[in-house]
Order: sequence, then C-alpha cells, then structure tokens
Amino acid sequence: MVRFEDAGFRYDSGPFVFQDATFHLEPGSFHFVLGPSGAGKSSLLKLMYLALSPTLGRVSLFGRSVSELSRNELANMRRRIGVIFQDFRLLDHLSAMENVALPLRVSGQHDERVQQHVIELLAWVGLAEQLQALPPTLSGGEQQRVAIARAVIGRPSLLIADEPTGNVDDRIAVRLLYLFEELNKMGTTVVIATHNEGLAARFAQPILRLQDGQVRYVAPGYRRSFSLARGSGS
Amino acid sequence: MASAHLDVPFDRDGSARFLPWLIGFMVYLAALSLVSALAMNKILDRWDRGLAGQLTLQIPPPEPTEELDRREQRLDRAIEILTSTTGVTGAVVLDPADMNKLLVPWLGEGALEEDLPLPDLIAVQLDPSAPPDLDALQLRLAEAVPGIESDSHQAYLTRLLSLTRSIQIVAAVVVLLVGLSAVLAVVFVTNTGLSIHRHVIEVLHMIGAHDDYVAQQFQRYAFKLGLRGGFLGLVLAVPTVLLVGRQFDASDATLLPNLALSPVDWAAVALLPLVAAVIAMMTARFTVLRTLVQLL
Repeated sequence: MVRFEDAGFRYDSGPFVFQDATFHLEPGSFHFVLGPSGAGKSSLLKLMYLALSPTLGRVSLFGRSVSELSRNELANMRRRIGVIFQDFRLLDHLSAMENVALPLRVSGQHDERVQQHVIELLAWVGLAEQLQALPPTLSGGEQQRVAIARAVIGRPSLLIADEPTGNVDDRIAVRLLYLFEELNKMGTTVVIATHNEGLAARFAQPILRLQDGQVRYVAPGYRRSFSLARGSGS
Repeated sequence: MASAHLDVPFDRDGSARFLPWLIGFMVYLAALSLVSALAMNKILDRWDRGLAGQLTLQIPPPEPTEELDRREQRLDRAIEILTSTTGVTGAVVLDPADMNKLLVPWLGEGALEEDLPLPDLIAVQLDPSAPPDLDALQLRLAEAVPGIESDSHQAYLTRLLSLTRSIQIVAAVVVLLVGLSAVLAVVFVTNTGLSIHRHVIEVLHMIGAHDDYVAQQFQRYAFKLGLRGGFLGLVLAVPTVLLVGRQFDASDATLLPNLALSPVDWAAVALLPLVAAVIAMMTARFTVLRTLVQLL
C-alpha cells in the first residue's frame, strides 16, 4: 500500500527533515505516526498523500512509484486517498454538504444517489441539521466532522489524518479514533499523525516514530523502539 | 450542490471587476471596425460593379477657329471605330444636358454658359467576358481623332482599392491590439486569481482534481465575464452604428454608400460578444494549465 525505500525529504536546500526512511504499510493496516512538534510528521504524511515528492529514495503507493506518475495519474491516485488536514481545509464559501460532496464532484459524480450518500454521511457524523451551514458558522468539532466526512465520502483505500485530535478533548479524541478503527475494520488503511502519545498508547496499533530525522517502527505492545532502516514495518 | 456553480469563490475578490469593461471596449471597437470593413467592401463592390467593363472617351472641344462640323466629324469617326471593334458592346455620346447635370453640383446653377467649352464624352460599354485590346483600340482612336483621351478607370479603382485596404488593415490592427490588451488582462486576472485562491486550488488538487478541472473553474468564470463585457460593448456599438448610418444617409453624398447592414452583417456583429468570451475562456484555460505545472 505505502512503501518508503531509503526516502529522505528536505524543503529546498534546507536541512533534511528525515532521511533513510524505509518501511512498508500493508493494505488494511492501522498506524500511528508519533513524534514531537517539528519532528516532520506532517512532511511524512504529505509524501504519503502526494502533496510532496521525496528528495531522496523512493516512495511507492498502490504498487507504483510516485516519481514516475504523470500529473493526471497523481490526481487519480489522490482520489484513492482520504486526507483529514490538521487545519481541516474546508472551503468557507461552500456549505457542509457541498464540502463533503467535493471529492465526488471533482471525480465527475453528480447524480442524486451521490447527494443522498452525502446527506447520510453527514447524519452519521452527527451533522444532519447542519447540511447547509457554512464552515465559519460551525464549531471546531463540527468542522472536523465535516472534514472527516469529506475524507471518507469517496471510500478511500488509504485514510491519512494529520493531528485529528488536536482540537478536541480526550473524550471526543477517543471516539474519533474508534471511528477510524471502524473504517480500518472495513478495509481502509489508516495512518494517523498525533503528538498525543497517551492517546496512541490506548490503541494496540503499530507506531512510526519520527525522531532526530529518523523514522523508527514500534510494534504493537512494544515500549522500546528500534530502527527500521531496512526492514518491513508490518 | 449543483454542478453549475464554481468551487473557486471568484465573487469574493475584486481583481476581475475591470475585465468586463475592457472586453466591452474591445467588442465596441471590434464592432465599429467590422462595420467599417463591411462598409468598405460595399463601397468597393459598388464602384467596381459601376465601373468595370466601362471606358470613357474624352474628345477635347474644338478650337474657336475650327469649323463647327469638325466636332461632329470627330465623334462620328470615334463611334465608327468603336462599333467596328470586337468586344465593344455599346457606345453612347453623353448629352450636353446630362453633362450639365453632372457639373451643377461642382460649378453651381447658371455657371454653365452656352459658350463654355466642354469636351465630348463617350461612354463605352465593353464585353467583360471578352474585352477588346484596349492599347490597340486607344492607338486606333488616337490616329483617327487627335487629342482623344480614354479612361478605363482602372488606375482610379486601384487607388481606391489601395485606400480601402489600408483603412481595413488599420481597423484590423486596432482590433488586434485591443484584443491583445484584453488577452493580457485575462492572463493577469487569471494569475491573480490563481494566487488569491491558491489554498482552494490546493484543496481541489489534494482531493483528486485534475488540472483540467481547475482550469474549467477559471475558464467558465472568464467566459461569463467575457460574455457580460461583450454584450456591454455590443449594446454600445449598435446605437453608434445606427447613428453613423443615419448620418451617412442624411448626407445625400452620392459617393458614400448606404450603411444599411444585411442580416448576415448584423449576425457577424452579434457574434462578437461570443467570440470575445471564447477568447477570454481559452486564454484563462491556457494560463491556468501553464501556471499549475509551475505552482503545484
């Protein structure tokens, strides 16, 4: 599903955010990406959701090296990835319903069933009464749920969430993670970046830990981390 | 959720507000230039049809010392040569009264006295499909009637043609330059829009939008603005054309053509807003596609 081989990344000519990252996330797996602020979690995720390209090494998604893809192929691949951004990135001029329907619209789906599906999904995340609300009129938690609905509306094979629990209390955060586990049980590969180690510890899932420019793998149940310079991560 | 609306909130930035006015100005000038070109074609066509296949012979008036019947003799000799020439289908000596009518606008009533020496004019009709050898004809006429001059109007027509073509070229250059300005304005507005709405475009990209989808957002907006501006220009141009046409008609100048446009001419003018909108749309599309590759 996601394969990093000796991958490294840096912005322009700055220092490397991380180097020699080698791991493989199997289809249907669930991983946390942990690390302190500024460790490079978001950059690692950006490489996974194709917002950035590796400076070194090779990143492959769905069996294809991303460096070899054309712009249209990259766009098609992004349609298989659902992303929940840290700042949600909802479009303020579109209603909650229009925001959620956006991935379907860009992929050319416009029919009535799509609209019904959007309504059902918003009801599922508890926003049945806010279909026409514009994002600025919603609370942070509500915006987050719209962002989640938008990320999963296209039934993605890979779901990536960048600090999805950053703006909510622990009770809501745990509920969110259970929601992601449910999606994972339905076959979606899930990758969640968080700085909340305690929260991640409550779920027996493998961890990719970013520290000192290195990506280390922590198997479920293990407290000690070890380098995955050449090994498999699952 | 209707697919007709745009995902990029163009109505929230004012960078494109001047574009309809610029396109309106372009369409206004283009409409006037097009009408001028059509009018020039009409003038040419009228003059060409009026003068083609014609030859005018001018026999100078007899000297006061010459006998009066010399005038008749010269006319008869010229008519004899003309009627015996293959390719000449008719020859009419202009009546002095008709010549007076032609000269009144220039010289005024009463200016023509009986003794004012006027040349004799012969209007010669030629067979356009098999015209005679004009050089040979002129040589024979000159031998038979000393001092005779002929005018096939070709030099006159050529000068007129050159003049009208120059006017048409100037009109086309004006339209081209204004069009180029409008294209540059669309490029500027599109690039500004790409910059202002970059966060929206990034989101669209991240959820799987192709460059073509993003380009469509901009091109639909540019088309809408282009059409709006185009109609504005058309609405201003039509009364201008009608007003100028009315003044042409009122001037009673026989050399000036009637500016009444045919339905086909009006259809061409009416298409200008659409042409402007399509140009704006295509410019926006190519600008977005080119810029996105560099931007994201």
